[in-house]
Amino acid sequence: MPILEARSLTKTFRRPDKASGFKGAVKHLMQRKFKNYTAVDGIDLSIDAGESVAYVGPNGAGKSTTVKLLTGILRPSEGTVRVMGRDPHTERIANAHDIGVLFGQRTQLWWDLPVEESLKLLKHMYGVSDADYQRRIAKFDELLDLNEFMPALARTLSLGQRMRADLACALIHDPKMVYLDEPTIGLDISVKDRLRAFLRELVNDGTTLLLTSHDLADIEEVCERIVVIDKGAIAYDGSIERLKAHYITTKAVNLYLEGTADVPALAEKFPDYEWTAGEAPSEVTVTYESGRFTTAEVLGSLTAQLSPRDLSLSEPSIEDVIRRLYAGELTK
Amino acid sequence: MANLDVALATISFKRKIAYKSTWFFSVLFGEWSLLAGLAVWNHLIGDGEIGGYDWDAMKAYLIIGFLTGTLAWAGSDWEMAGRILDGMVAIDLTKPVDFQRARAAEYIGGMTASIPSAILGTAAAALLFRPAGPVSPLAAALTAFSLLFIFPLAFGISYLATLACFLTQRFLGIQWAKDSMVAFFSGMMIPVALMPVWLQGVAWALPFVHFTTTPASIYLGRVDTAGALGLIAAEAAWAVGLWVIGRLIWRRLVKKVTVHGG
Repeated sequence: MPILEARSLTKTFRRPDKASGFKGAVKHLMQRKFKNYTAVDGIDLSIDAGESVAYVGPNGAGKSTTVKLLTGILRPSEGTVRVMGRDPHTERIANAHDIGVLFGQRTQLWWDLPVEESLKLLKHMYGVSDADYQRRIAKFDELLDLNEFMPALARTLSLGQRMRADLACALIHDPKMVYLDEPTIGLDISVKDRLRAFLRELVNDGTTLLLTSHDLADIEEVCERIVVIDKGAIAYDGSIERLKAHYITTKAVNLYLEGTADVPALAEKFPDYEWTAGEAPSEVTVTYESGRFTTAEVLGSLTAQLSPRDLSLSEPSIEDVIRRLYAGELTK
Repeated sequence: MANLDVALATISFKRKIAYKSTWFFSVLFGEWSLLAGLAVWNHLIGDGEIGGYDWDAMKAYLIIGFLTGTLAWAGSDWEMAGRILDGMVAIDLTKPVDFQRARAAEYIGGMTASIPSAILGTAAAALLFRPAGPVSPLAAALTAFSLLFIFPLAFGISYLATLACFLTQRFLGIQWAKDSMVAFFSGMMIPVALMPVWLQGVAWALPFVHFTTTPASIYLGRVDTAGALGLIAAEAAWAVGLWVIGRLIWRRLVKKVTVHGG
């Protein structure tokens, strides 16, 4: 039974159609023209309870707009959304009780008050009991070191502290469905690691998670399923493993030869592989189709005939696949 | 839910008093404005009267204007508008609270932060300038009661003004227009009694008049008890009416909310 179900979800915005310069500004003042822009274009999405889903796409692909539609902030132009059986826009208040939302670029902390005041106000908003509040704060402190900055004014926090505090705000009521829109944006490696560990814990506890991020390490470490969106439409929806298996059809070996690598001669000698010069004169990269050759076969033939000084295997990277999906080189 | 209203109002109160220098300057300039008003009207009235106000009555009128003005301008219009303009309204919409009710609690909580300065300034001015007293204890009580409506009225007017930001994408002009309307039609700048008759009719048909003219008229006995009760009923009707209008407009606007960016 899906906890979230979107059918033909579409959001169209009206944008001013204005020519640049003074003339354009005056003309627009006299004769206003608008163009419709479709940010989300007929998306079908179904998420089961307990799933952790990464929602990725290039800038302007429609990720944040989708999150706003799913959380009830925006009203769809077409299509439907049901979250736990409710329409999140028309039943906004009831829906808000069961969801947690974090927008990495917007804080929900009261800027000029201590972090603790914001959390206490949210406790009132969600009707969290004193015992549950204390228990959750203790857990957040254990995983996010919350007490380190609880008495600090929100405006004095570092970005990492602010994000940890915002995460606690989004989860203080133990929501069933959590939307995190770029939760690690601008954070340093150590804070990112900490947040990812926290999110893994959250998923292990059975919370349903929809995560948007440009940092693919977030996705690989936290999510099992990935939905790639581009130009408002879904380009891929499936497991990360399947994505790799489906789209990563080649593998590579880096060879470090004795002396300079003669790439054209090597390509002639081994026509089944693709040869590319490396950074150093003696370095060369051999790309082969993983469906035709096993790594053992490739290594066997190369080491027997070339006696390389050293070699390394290039692991398939999700980043490469996503990059190629964004660039339109891969299709569904 | 009432607990949440109090919690929101308290947060807003704390935010206001977090900026002590702003609070101090608002009191200082409020008092300065009162002194300027007293000087001008003292010069104009002299030993006579204008529009039925002699010097003692005018002092009382101006001090009531200071009190109501201090409260009426103390709301957080820019914060409310700013949340709409910079898209923070998206965060508000993910919370399980009625948007209008939450903003009302915050706004009125912020206004209460100005009560100490309003009372302090009014008491100091009353001691220094010895204005006319209330015509009767009942008039004093009804004046105090009518002053309470400044809170919902100020919110109602400011809420409608900030909702206009959804359409205009700017607040400065709206704020100027709203402030001018309040200052002029409330009688804070010039008593309504001094306006041409047709303009007095316009003023009495609008909610702004209840910020200064209504409490001052009750206090000075310019209306009898029945008249005072009628004015208070009009204040209550405006408070309810503005609330309902705000709700109807919000219902339409929330369908058109646009928040770009992450």
